[in-house]
Formats: sequence, structure tokens, C-alpha cells
Amino acid sequence: MTATDDSPATGFDRRRFLGVSATIGAAALVSPLLGACTSKSKTAAKPAAASGGTAKSHYKMVWIQIQPQATSTAWGQGLQEIAAQQKNIDFQLLDGQNSAATQINLMNTAIAGGVDVIFLQPADSVGLAPSIKKAKAAGIPVITLNIDATETHAAHVEMNHYYGAQDIAAKMGAAIGGSGDVVIINAPPGITIRDLRTNGFVDGMKAKYPNVKIAADQNANWDRKTAGDVFSAMWAANPNIKGVYGVNDDMALGVVDVAKAKGILSKLTIFGNDGEKAALTSIEAGELTGTQYTDVWQQGRFAASAGIVLASGGVSAKDVPDQGHLLMPYSILTKDNVATIPASARW
Amino acid sequence: MATTLTARRSSAAGLAAFYALVLIVFSVLSPRFRTEQNFQNLLIGFSHIGILAIGMSFPIILAGIDLSVGSIIGVVGMTVFDLSLITHAPGIVAIIAALVVGAALGGLNGLLIVRLRISPFIVTLAAMATWRGTTYAISGRQLHRDLSVAPITDKLLLWIDGSFGPIPRAFVYMVLLGLAAYWLLARTKLGRDIYSVGGNERAAYLAGINVARVKITAYAISGFCAGVAALILTSRLSTSPEDLGTGFELSAIAAAVVGGVSLLGGVGGTLGPIIGAFLIGTVYIGMQLENVTTYAQQVVAGVILIGAVGFDRYRQVRKRQEMVRRRALRRPAADGMRPSAEGLRPASGLTS
Repeated sequence: MTATDDSPATGFDRRRFLGVSATIGAAALVSPLLGACTSKSKTAAKPAAASGGTAKSHYKMVWIQIQPQATSTAWGQGLQEIAAQQKNIDFQLLDGQNSAATQINLMNTAIAGGVDVIFLQPADSVGLAPSIKKAKAAGIPVITLNIDATETHAAHVEMNHYYGAQDIAAKMGAAIGGSGDVVIINAPPGITIRDLRTNGFVDGMKAKYPNVKIAADQNANWDRKTAGDVFSAMWAANPNIKGVYGVNDDMALGVVDVAKAKGILSKLTIFGNDGEKAALTSIEAGELTGTQYTDVWQQGRFAASAGIVLASGGVSAKDVPDQGHLLMPYSILTKDNVATIPASARW
Repeated sequence: MATTLTARRSSAAGLAAFYALVLIVFSVLSPRFRTEQNFQNLLIGFSHIGILAIGMSFPIILAGIDLSVGSIIGVVGMTVFDLSLITHAPGIVAIIAALVVGAALGGLNGLLIVRLRISPFIVTLAAMATWRGTTYAISGRQLHRDLSVAPITDKLLLWIDGSFGPIPRAFVYMVLLGLAAYWLLARTKLGRDIYSVGGNERAAYLAGINVARVKITAYAISGFCAGVAALILTSRLSTSPEDLGTGFELSAIAAAVVGGVSLLGGVGGTLGPIIGAFLIGTVYIGMQLENVTTYAQQVVAGVILIGAVGFDRYRQVRKRQEMVRRRALRRPAADGMRPSAEGLRPASGLTS
């Protein structure tokens, strides 16, 4: 069954969508490592007939990323894979060049270009809110990936930052013996992911290891090299640091680079976040201590499926009253369990 | 002076014709392109680049450059954010502060260039790093965790980026600034002095022009324009990201150069840079609507820049050759009597 030979009003491959859902559901059930996985889609969208929308034979969808990075690229691949299977979707990748202002221009043009769904990784949760409002007014559903926006929209698919960071805190606290100084190498402000991961880490540490002190928390702009420089300065100021949490893998790997160069790797417990291939390789090499892993390809596939459901059902964004919120299952990987992730799920 | 204006007009007319052609091509290719909404998007998306390009043309006409405008946008945007959300200052105070800070930081560039005699490239490169660092240091979004994802709610500040009917306000500000800049360059002594200093600084100095004042004013104008752009963007985003304006200096330089402002100094107007900004914007938007991949769009934008600069360089060389040829034909004896400084820069703006 393909989308084109399905009825126009439901021009969507249900089996494929359910397949993706089932994969994620099964993963949540079978993996003992999975942390709190909640999926509470409150979205109650009206169908095309009720909303007066019209289903079409051809759809346009855009993916507006912040900049080319391992995570964004993998999401794009997951999105494109599902879009390509439908055979009636023009899928376009647009690069935000690491600028909220550029992303707004891309959003505006996408809205004027009559796209059916916008997949967005906002460079700024507040800054993109007015654009999302504009898209909603035009009836275009917006689905955000990992970084939520302060304006409600059709759906948000994230890897469960808050609970993931709590679990990282628990693992790190145990690894450093329940006391000592740890530092956070953080993302830039203005995006929800920073607050969720930081709060999760701080709350998790406070709950399980109150004697661990968070000695510093500095922004390294998602960047590997900057993270190394920031950590160097932290280490110079405080050589008692026992643990480092980089809120993405790139930044954690930047700390690994510097720790190796300084010969202090064995003294440190370093956690990253996201679970990209380079991080998994580093864990296997005994360098990075661990990371929060999610199959980002799967995340992209799921977002694409949700977008296709809305578009093919002719659902206007105006008829989606509450934002769907989907938390992806995840696992905290260390040297003990990194081998459980097969090559086919290493993005 | 009359020759300069005529030359500038003909150059801007050529560019306008080319731009019209680009508009026609995209309008024919894509029905989505020739919509009112799309033209509004174009005006919204690139008016602030046009404003920066107007400002940037002043230092470039002086044979200088201003690499700091992107970072000035960052500092000004954060000043507005902090004033509005930390001190709860009324919008009008934030607006005045934004314009004053922008002009002052630009003027400081000029002052350092004049007093320390360091090249504009180095001074503004240092300013670019300094003001970006300052933006992070004063960021209310970092200093107050509860403000990390808090939007600006002041009505006046949010009003700045709306529209008058179908016309985006950012475009109106750009037109007003463009008219002011045109008047300044074409009708005032300061404008004539700017061309003189840009064309031949030593000759201008010998002619009694206060070169230092001209330079400081030009960089202050560039900073002021960055302040206006920062207000527009802060209003549009309802916040001020720490990286606001990063890389915009290059877009502004590109727009100015595409618009016929010569990097060698002494040549350039106001209309050209505005068209330059919209030409680049139109190409980006047109290609997006035509489903051209995002990275190919950047390559094409790069090719346009190289083409424009290459053409500018070609024109300069041709003019010099022409001038040398004419001098040799008309006044072979008098030529040898000219001051040596004049001989260093035959392509002076006053005569080109």
C-alpha cells in the first residue's frame, strides 16, 4: 500500500506509521535501561472534514535546522527517509546558519511558499515564537525537535532532557564517590534544552548526592573547541574538579580532548548528552564516561510520521488546540552497556 | 562632484536594471514568488541588512571597513533586553539608549582609528571580539536564570517591527535612513568631505578638511545604523540572543560592495547598497521557493559577491587606464607638475 493508492483524505501509510510507533513502544518495554519514558500526546486534532481543510495529492515539507551538526543531520535523514517513502512529498532541508533571524526569514518564506508542515529546531525558543504564531495563523502545523518553543504548536518530539540529565547526575555522583566538585559545560541561554538539562542535572544531584557541589556552569556554545577552552580555564581555577557534564556530546568530547592533552583523563568522570556515534566510540575507547543516548534517526522518523498524519488528514494548525508532547525513550550508556547499541542505530 | 553623482547614478541604474531582471525571472519561475506576502517577506527579511549596508557604505567610502556592526547589534540588543526586563525601563528609554549606544560604539571605532592610527580593519576586528564578549557578559538571560526564556513584553518595543498596513515598518526605517544618507552624502559639506577623504586622504588633509572629524562621524553613522537594526531584530524576536547579529557585518559589506561601493574608497552611494541587500535577499528567497538546496544557495550567494567585487575591480582598472590615457593625450606637460600624492591615487572619487 502506498500513499498514492490510498484514499485522498487519509493519504498516509498507516502500517508504516504504526510500525514506527511500535518500534519505539517495544524499545520502551524491552530495554531495562530505559528511563522514564512518557508519551502524553494531548493533541486532539479535528479531521479534514470537520476542520474544512482539504487533502491534497502532493505535499511540501521543510526541515529548518540550526546548523549542520551530527544531531540535526541525523534528524534530517530520519525525516527524509519517511518523506521519501510516501512518494508524494517534496522535502527540503533549510539551514538556519546558527541564527534565529535567518531561521525567521526561512520560516516566512516557507509560509509564503505554502508548505504543509514545518519541522523546526529553533535556534532560540523565544525568538522563533512569533514566527510559529504566524505559521499557525496560516494553518501550517509546526513540529519542533528537541528544542521546544515558548509558543505552543502542533507537536514537540524530544529525547526527554530533564529525566535524562537526572539519570546522568545519578551515574556521575556514584562514579565520583558521592562527593566533590563537578562542573557543567553548557549550551547558550535562550533555549529550553539548556534549562531542562541543567535543572535535571542539578535536581538529580541534589536528590541523590547532596554532597556533590556544582562548582561552575559556563556556556561553550555547543562547540567542541570552545568547550575545551572553557574547561581549561575551569581546571586552572579549580584542579579539584572530579566530574564534567557537557550538555551535548561535542562539548563533552572537547573536554576529553583537553583532559587527554593534560594527562588528567583518569581523574575525571565526563558525561555527554545525545549519543552520537563519535561519543559511543569514545566510550568504547575508555575516554568519555557516558552519555544519554536516543536513536535520533528514529526521532526524525517519528516526527515525519506525525507531520504526514497532519498534512494528509488536511488538519489545520488552528485545529490543534494543545501541543502534542512526545518524549523519546532513552538509555544512559557507559562502557558496560554501549555494546547494546547496534551499528544500525549509531547515527 | 557632478561627475561623481552622474557616475553613481548610472552605476545604481545598471544595478537596478539587473535587479529588475532577477525579479522578473523569479516571478516567471514561481507563482509563489510573485505574491504580496512574498514581497512583504523580502522587505521584512532584508531591510535591516539594507540599513546596515547604508551605514557600512560610509566607512567603505572612506577606504575603511567596519567589522564590528554585528557585535554592536549584539550589545545594543542586550542593552534593550536588560533595560526592559531587568530594570523595567519604559520602551522609549530603551530605544534612545539603543541609538546612543550604537552611535557611541561606532564613534569609538572612529576615535581609535584616528587617534591611535591603527587600520580600520584591526580596530573594528578587535571591537567585534570585544563587543561580542561584552554581550555575553551583560546578558540578562545568563545572569538571571528566570529570564533565560522570558520574552520582551513592552508594547512600544514590540511595535517597532510591525507594519503600516501592508508595508513593513523595517522597510520604512530603511527608506528614511536611505534618504537621510543620500542627503548627507550629496548635499552637505560633510558628504563632500567624506568623498574627498576616501578618494585621497592626504590631498583632503592638505585642502584643510578635518579628516579626524569626518572619520569619527562616518563610523558613528555606521554604529547608529547597527543600533537601528538591533532595535528591529530585538522587536522581531521579542528577545535578544547573545549571538544576535553574528556575521551580519559580512552581509552588510557584501550588500554595499554589490551596490557599487568601492573597497578602494571614494566611490559609492546610498541606493546601490540598498539594492545590493535586496538582490542578495531575492536570490536566497527565490532559490528557496524553487527548492534549491540550502547549501547550494550559499554557494550562489558567494558567486554573486565574487562577481560583483570582480566587476568593481575590473571597472576600477579600466578607469585608471582610461584616465592615464586621457592625461597622456591631453596634457602631457602638465601631468608631470601634479602633486605626487595625486599620482598615488589616480582613481579619486571626485574625478571618477
